Amino acid sequence: AAVRCQLCPPQRALQASAALRRVSDEQKKEPLASSSQQQQPFDSHPTDHQPEQDPQGPRPSYTGQGGQESEDYESEEQLQHRILTAALEFVPEHGWTAEAIAEGAKTLGLSVAAAGMFHGDGSELILHFVSECNTKLSQLLEEEQKLVQLGKAEKKPTDQFLRDAVEARLRMLIPYIEKWPQALSILLLPHNIPASLNLLTSMIDDIWQYAGDQSTDFNWYTRRAVLTGIYNTTELVMLQDSSPDFEETWRFLENRVADAMNMGSAADQVQSTGEAVVQGLMGMAVTVSN
Amino acid sequence: AAAALCPCRLLFARCGGALRPLCGSVRGLAAGQDTHFGFQTVTEAERREKIYQVFENVAKKYDVMNDSMSLGIHRVWKDILMHKMNPSPGTLLLDVAGGTGDIAFRFLNYVRSVRERQLQQKLKHHQSLSWQEISESYKEDKSESPGDSQVVVCDINKEMLKVGKQKAQHLGYSKGLSWVLGNAEELPFDDDMFDVYTIAFGIRNVTRIDLALQEAYRVLKPGGRFLCLEFSHVSNPVLSRLYDLYSFQVIPVLGEVIAGDWKSYQYLVESIRRFPPQEEFKAMIEDAGFLKVDYQNLNFGIVAIHSGFKL
Repeated sequence: AAVRCQLCPPQRALQASAALRRVSDEQKKEPLASSSQQQQPFDSHPTDHQPEQDPQGPRPSYTGQGGQESEDYESEEQLQHRILTAALEFVPEHGWTAEAIAEGAKTLGLSVAAAGMFHGDGSELILHFVSECNTKLSQLLEEEQKLVQLGKAEKKPTDQFLRDAVEARLRMLIPYIEKWPQALSILLLPHNIPASLNLLTSMIDDIWQYAGDQSTDFNWYTRRAVLTGIYNTTELVMLQDSSPDFEETWRFLENRVADAMNMGSAADQVQSTGEAVVQGLMGMAVTVSN
Repeated sequence: AAAALCPCRLLFARCGGALRPLCGSVRGLAAGQDTHFGFQTVTEAERREKIYQVFENVAKKYDVMNDSMSLGIHRVWKDILMHKMNPSPGTLLLDVAGGTGDIAFRFLNYVRSVRERQLQQKLKHHQSLSWQEISESYKEDKSESPGDSQVVVCDINKEMLKVGKQKAQHLGYSKGLSWVLGNAEELPFDDDMFDVYTIAFGIRNVTRIDLALQEAYRVLKPGGRFLCLEFSHVSNPVLSRLYDLYSFQVIPVLGEVIAGDWKSYQYLVESIRRFPPQEEFKAMIEDAGFLKVDYQNLNFGIVAIHSGFKL
């Protein structure tokens, strides 16, 4: 073993990464924005030397394997994200499979073998897509909230808010609706359930947050459970809906949300009726005993 | 005569690393640094020469010996490697030290079946093909063409390549297959050429593994994959003892009986012990520049598949 070590002196070949882009490439947009505010003439080709630009700003730096020069390259996870995003456009044709990922890698100039980085069943692609949709939804709700705060829009009643949020989120599935049943079945595989459940619950939680839910009692759980049920059933209805622009689905959604609202008041009514009944019985008992 | 030699050889094997070879340790000044050949210490040039001779001697019986030594399990290992690779049609594969072509043939079979499945799917969706189109699609001899996938088999040893070419002819593989004589430490190919680089049970015979890994990095396209199937370290102590027993007692005897060559198979089992264990080899692959390097143990570490990407 000692002999062998002499033969391979530990020199880390500081090779420029073949496919990982320098982070500063992606940050070209940011210095342009900031420098235009400062009214400095900016280059159309900003150089890589941007001392004031912290390369670790919005991007996590890649610090694996002690290669100092790779600190301002994007990380492997970011490259994987790029490949998955590129692969989405091939999903309608190939489904949620390794072939779609391979095609996506090809459009980025990488070899098709790069698809080997991912699981063979396409689960990472689906999870990536769901997570992207959730992020988009959050951004939408955030913007709406800002408009309301600025007074430019009215605050919606809760049922309208929930309907719009669920509709907006489900509309993101429309381009992939044909292959979506396949995706759902893959998400239900045991090894994917933790991740997919996580994404679902955080999305529902997000919607309720923006709807203004501030409950601290058991209502917190009931509301989320109810909305999860509404979302899942509406999604299933959407899969077999053939009406123009999915009208049937939105009507179904409207009915379910209305049911949920009524359920709240129905529960109160049941409770007050129950109390009244109990009081009546007590009265009778007192009367009889006298 | 073989029986009489047996006890001496066993003694040899037992002494492990403290051997001073009977054939003399001539250290030529210009023959490179010292390295190992099995449990012996030789110079680099000597090592290359000896290994060349080993494979020259065993070439004809290589496949038979593989089957008898591993009880046929080597086929499963190679199949697992192919499934891990999961090549899509249109992939360009470089199989280094691919000698008798096992990986290359499996690759061609795999892409052929993937392509057939894809075509079937496409035909299912085409509801309105005319009869002419349908008959044309059957006319193309599907069983022959692997699409535009190609595999290049590269080996340093002429005898091994010869056996491989004969096998290919015998089994009927012709399209998409080429045979190149070359050294893994200095490949005769341009940069950024191949989608996948495989080396199955070959890298432990390379004298400068670091050079071979650098060459692998060089000839792969960005996004390309490096796959290495190799004997590795068994950590389970019980299994390790059984494995050692089998390796040193049974395999050289099989070598003598079936291939008439004790020494080559002695070299084989010794070279397995000399190869770095999984984590160390993973570090070497990372040093060459590969990312997302990982390994998968097969049969508790008797064999390991290392994978890395050029990103």
